[in-house]
Amino acid sequence: METPTALQNILYMPRTSTTTESNKTGSWRFLRPRYEEKTSPCSAACPAGEDIARIEMLITQGAFKEAWETILMENPLPGVCGRVCYHPCEGRCNRREFDAAVAIHTLERFLADAAARNETKPALPRQPATGRQIAIIGSGPAGLSAAWFFNILGYETEIFEAMPAAGGMLRWGIPAYRLPEAVLNAEIARIEAQGVRIRTGEAVSAARFEEMRKSYDALFLGCGYWRDRPLDIPGAAGPGVEDGLSFLREIRGGVKRDVPGLSAVIGGGNTAIDVARSIIRRGGRAIIVYRRRREDMPAFTEEVQSAREEGVELRELLAPVRIDAGGGDCVLTLQPMAIAGQDRDGRGKIVPAAEAPVTITVQRIFTATGAGAAAPWHNPPVPGAPGAICSLSHCVLLQDDRGAPVVYGGDLATGDKNVTQAIASGKQAALALDVFFRHGAGSMRERLASCLVGGGPSLSLEIYLGGPRRERNAHIVTYEEINADYFQYEPRVVQPRLLIEERHSSFDEIELKISAHTAMREAGRCFNCGICNGCDNCYLFCPDVSILRSRDMSDRHIDYEYCKGCGLCVVECPRNAMTLDEEGTP
Amino acid sequence: MQLEAMDRELMCSGHVGCPGCGATIAMRFMLKALGEKTVMVLPACCWSVIAGPFPQSSLKIPVIHTAFETGGATASGVRAALDMRGDEETTVVTWAGDGGTFDIGFQALSGAVERNENFIYICYDNEAYMNTGIQRSSSTPYGAWTTTTSGSDWKKLRKKNIVEALVAHRIPYAATANIAYPEDLVRKVKKAKEVKGSRFLHIYASCPTGWRIPSEMSIKIARMAVQTNIFPLYEVENGVNYTINVKPREYLVREYFKLQGRFRHLSEEDLDQIQAMVNEDWELLLRKAGEHA
Amino acid sequence: MKKVLEGSQAVAEAVRLAKVQVISAYPITPQTHIVEILSDYVTSGRMNAKYLRVESEHSCMAALIGAQSTGVRTFTATCSQGLALMHELLHWASGARLPIVMGEVNRALAPGWNIWSDQTDSLAQRDTGWMQLYCEDSQEVLDTTILAYRLAERVNLPAMVVLDAFFLSHTYEPVDVPEQEEVDRFLPPYNPVFILDPKHPYSLSPLVTPNAYLEMRHDIALAMEDALAIFDEVEGEFARILGRRYGVVEEVNCDDADIIFVTSGTVTSTARLALEELRSRGEKVGALKIKLFRPFPVEAVRRALSKAWKVIVVDRNFSFGASGIFAQEVRAALCNAPGHPPVFGYIAGLGGRDITMQMLSDIYFEVKRSEAPRRESVWVGLQEVKRAT
Repeated sequence: METPTALQNILYMPRTSTTTESNKTGSWRFLRPRYEEKTSPCSAACPAGEDIARIEMLITQGAFKEAWETILMENPLPGVCGRVCYHPCEGRCNRREFDAAVAIHTLERFLADAAARNETKPALPRQPATGRQIAIIGSGPAGLSAAWFFNILGYETEIFEAMPAAGGMLRWGIPAYRLPEAVLNAEIARIEAQGVRIRTGEAVSAARFEEMRKSYDALFLGCGYWRDRPLDIPGAAGPGVEDGLSFLREIRGGVKRDVPGLSAVIGGGNTAIDVARSIIRRGGRAIIVYRRRREDMPAFTEEVQSAREEGVELRELLAPVRIDAGGGDCVLTLQPMAIAGQDRDGRGKIVPAAEAPVTITVQRIFTATGAGAAAPWHNPPVPGAPGAICSLSHCVLLQDDRGAPVVYGGDLATGDKNVTQAIASGKQAALALDVFFRHGAGSMRERLASCLVGGGPSLSLEIYLGGPRRERNAHIVTYEEINADYFQYEPRVVQPRLLIEERHSSFDEIELKISAHTAMREAGRCFNCGICNGCDNCYLFCPDVSILRSRDMSDRHIDYEYCKGCGLCVVECPRNAMTLDEEGTP
Repeated sequence: MQLEAMDRELMCSGHVGCPGCGATIAMRFMLKALGEKTVMVLPACCWSVIAGPFPQSSLKIPVIHTAFETGGATASGVRAALDMRGDEETTVVTWAGDGGTFDIGFQALSGAVERNENFIYICYDNEAYMNTGIQRSSSTPYGAWTTTTSGSDWKKLRKKNIVEALVAHRIPYAATANIAYPEDLVRKVKKAKEVKGSRFLHIYASCPTGWRIPSEMSIKIARMAVQTNIFPLYEVENGVNYTINVKPREYLVREYFKLQGRFRHLSEEDLDQIQAMVNEDWELLLRKAGEHA
Repeated sequence: MKKVLEGSQAVAEAVRLAKVQVISAYPITPQTHIVEILSDYVTSGRMNAKYLRVESEHSCMAALIGAQSTGVRTFTATCSQGLALMHELLHWASGARLPIVMGEVNRALAPGWNIWSDQTDSLAQRDTGWMQLYCEDSQEVLDTTILAYRLAERVNLPAMVVLDAFFLSHTYEPVDVPEQEEVDRFLPPYNPVFILDPKHPYSLSPLVTPNAYLEMRHDIALAMEDALAIFDEVEGEFARILGRRYGVVEEVNCDDADIIFVTSGTVTSTARLALEELRSRGEKVGALKIKLFRPFPVEAVRRALSKAWKVIVVDRNFSFGASGIFAQEVRAALCNAPGHPPVFGYIAGLGGRDITMQMLSDIYFEVKRSEAPRRESVWVGLQEVKRAT
């Protein structure tokens, strides 16, 4: 047999000439990774369902405008919430199990202030005009929120406000040292700039309301609780006793009311605290009298703490029995109380203690023991009343033959009564009515359920509109699912505040601003639970070069032809934005 | 973690490395740091197979496969030839496993660095002869199971301190590195590239197959090796100047051991003893670096 | 130009003239003079080369494999224990198709330590795919070293040029050292087929599975055949430019010989003298010097030996459990030739013991009066020894 000599050919020797890329090692796989974003606990805890993990990520990247717009998609009042919200987000923040919760509240305020300072105009998606008109009664947080979301959804929106300026409790109930007027004005102006018309000085009577039901396509009632609940004890109606909310309204209205001497404030809510702290600033001393314990007070803990710092005295477990006015003073008789068991709401059940009543002598008494609807027709209908009634978590929808559907929201309909719940209520109302108009009442619950954040109760407009957030898995990321190896201990930012002496002398805002650098550093502490922040660990650690990135680094995808399913990408993703499935599951 | 020049890939997919192989992660980072003007000497080790069977190669640089013991010697020849051809820019790097470095390849390595040959020698360490099926080497740590130290005969000898052995040769640069610390690894490779003379890198490379760990734990366990001071990250310049790069949180060694099947047999007393040994070695290293515990 | 050179020097001159670029060697008596001279040439700049002072012979061959693979001409010299230590990598060099040239100073293998002439060391490597060329005198050593580069680079196989320890390495002879331009005309610069080059990256010597290995080995076999086929042509070119040639074998008075000695190395020159003496007494005796051992010149050996009635092979080596190695190869070459003469194998001179004219003469007469070999191998000059009890 003729065999070729070696000289006739190029050497046939061990030398490579191709790559291993013809070897599709993807066939080895029995587990398969994929990118799957999940829900951060903060965003689920936020009553407005803000996309907090993403917001913090954008701040870290310096994309302040985009971060602010991400808030506005779910909450029109970041400047307000960044000051007065009770930040349940921080209470669920996974970082608190590592060192301390991220200062989400402070960062929200930072974004709002930065936008205001730079006069930034938001670019938000607007749905096409529906041709429908909505009337909103009350320009408090619920009404403003409802108006904002109706507007985005393509409805013509008008707000009717009885007071001379808009804002509701935001203006008339929360003192300026917590929420400066300029900030509130800017927030409201932005809502108006979107096309919402606010008609101040126009109170709506019951009769007018019935008329409006015939001329508008839907109505939202966000009148709030503007009637104070008086104390039902002897002497409560006498001289020297005032309603706390009215006092706050007065001050906000510009009246420089002096309150020298000692004033007693009866109550345990935020209003009581606001009243006491306003007294301090108007030259007086204040003593809060509460019938339960400090830990039972509905007021925000930080508020109570601030009050104590400013010199407000707090006396617990004392129930008012009678008031005797005379000679410019009031003598307040108080029955000491004791705890016996628990109430249904989990607070201690109080019973009169064995001790004898005590008295304190003060120059005046303010009551802040709760409020109610200003008019009976403000209250939502109870089950059994005529018409179709749909009770959602934060609002009540009424359909009957007297005219357009009515949604009762804000304090009128929510369980917890505070600014953020009111904002959530306005959003829920807008979404519910949009479903109602497009798909009928029967679809409401189902469609609203499909845009819950992490199983609810908060709703997301972005999810409702079919944005990228819709792809996220509702699973709420836990601390155990975070790869803490990638984070270093770093102290939480301490927001600078006015000195105590400075706080006494004016209604200036107590908490001071933080710098952009500080904000970015604090936002950098956020784990970004459940979302991809482009850290590229997956890309770096893949032993098979099977994670590919687009040229501009924005898109990552897995090359399943080669991925062996080792799972390193999933474990090294610090924030559980990837999932490992069994190969073959659809 | 964003790293510049981390985008070029000189390693291909389709190689036959085990899922989660630490050696492939190490190679990938190393190549990103060295770049295209590199010639690799590859003595017998897992990578001899991962590099691809004829006619395939999973590496986009020229590679010369060589016999097990010849990592240091072959590189000496390649370097001399490149210089004779007028190419003083191309980096010569030997990429060897722990077998070809600590044991059978030690003579050639010692000889080459004693001559201060101008090359980089990188040992990726999976702590046993993995390519031939998990037999013990002198880099197998105290306490480990291997197929030749099995049952009650688990390795009761310390891991050879290869960096110290090479530091004794007073080479210009020696360093340890770890796949869980990519920035540090890349920095050290780049630094080595700029130095002339013999440079040695000892890279910790997890082996899911040989260590009996799940494939997704390669990086986590690698990180723990540094966090427990079992594999400290440090550099030595000119045989005398020690710099410790990472002062870890100092987890207990049992946290590291209990994650790996190859250490499953160790008792609490064994772990205590090992903790004492690790503490002792760490203190010794601190002293060399002029620091205190 | 004619100079009186030590054999080691002749090797060194050839290496210098061949413009070798990387030399790596580890000292072992009696190769030391070669490497010392070369080291000196490199240091003084007489040679533009790099000299790697490696720490063992194994590393030496590894370094040359690395260097040759990067596209430069290389050289080393060793023997005995050093060659044995290189064994693994001798296989590697040929498998990697690298035309490395080695000076091999035939020395006995230990134990007992013996630094003198013996062929077992080089012959024990006959399976490694290296060409082997045996030299009789210092001129041949110089010429063969230069020739070896040309031949090796033509077929991409390594070659060892073998010279006897001390008899050649440490004796002085007149040697015609060619001029550099003459050698340059014969030996062009090294032009490798595949090298390590970042501009054209590929891997050399990767894993090869059964479905390709056979063909690669066959390619080596073909290269050996080619080496044999082109030897005369290559040597012809050498002769044209430098005026000398040796042939794969050299027949000395074989045409009318009844008995032919087969020799290699310096024994050949002793045989020439023995032949003269025997011929003067009317004995029809010839000699066949084997120069090229690998590839083994089967045709030339058959052609030369089939003329005789008997063949004597003198082996300064032994393959335990078999016979002298040249004898084995000659028997293998002859066995398929019809009516071939019997081969009488003689083992002599191991460990540097002198092979004298008298010994060769005695062997001749013993063979002349024997019909057939009395045994496979006859050991010459065995003395009485006291064995341990």
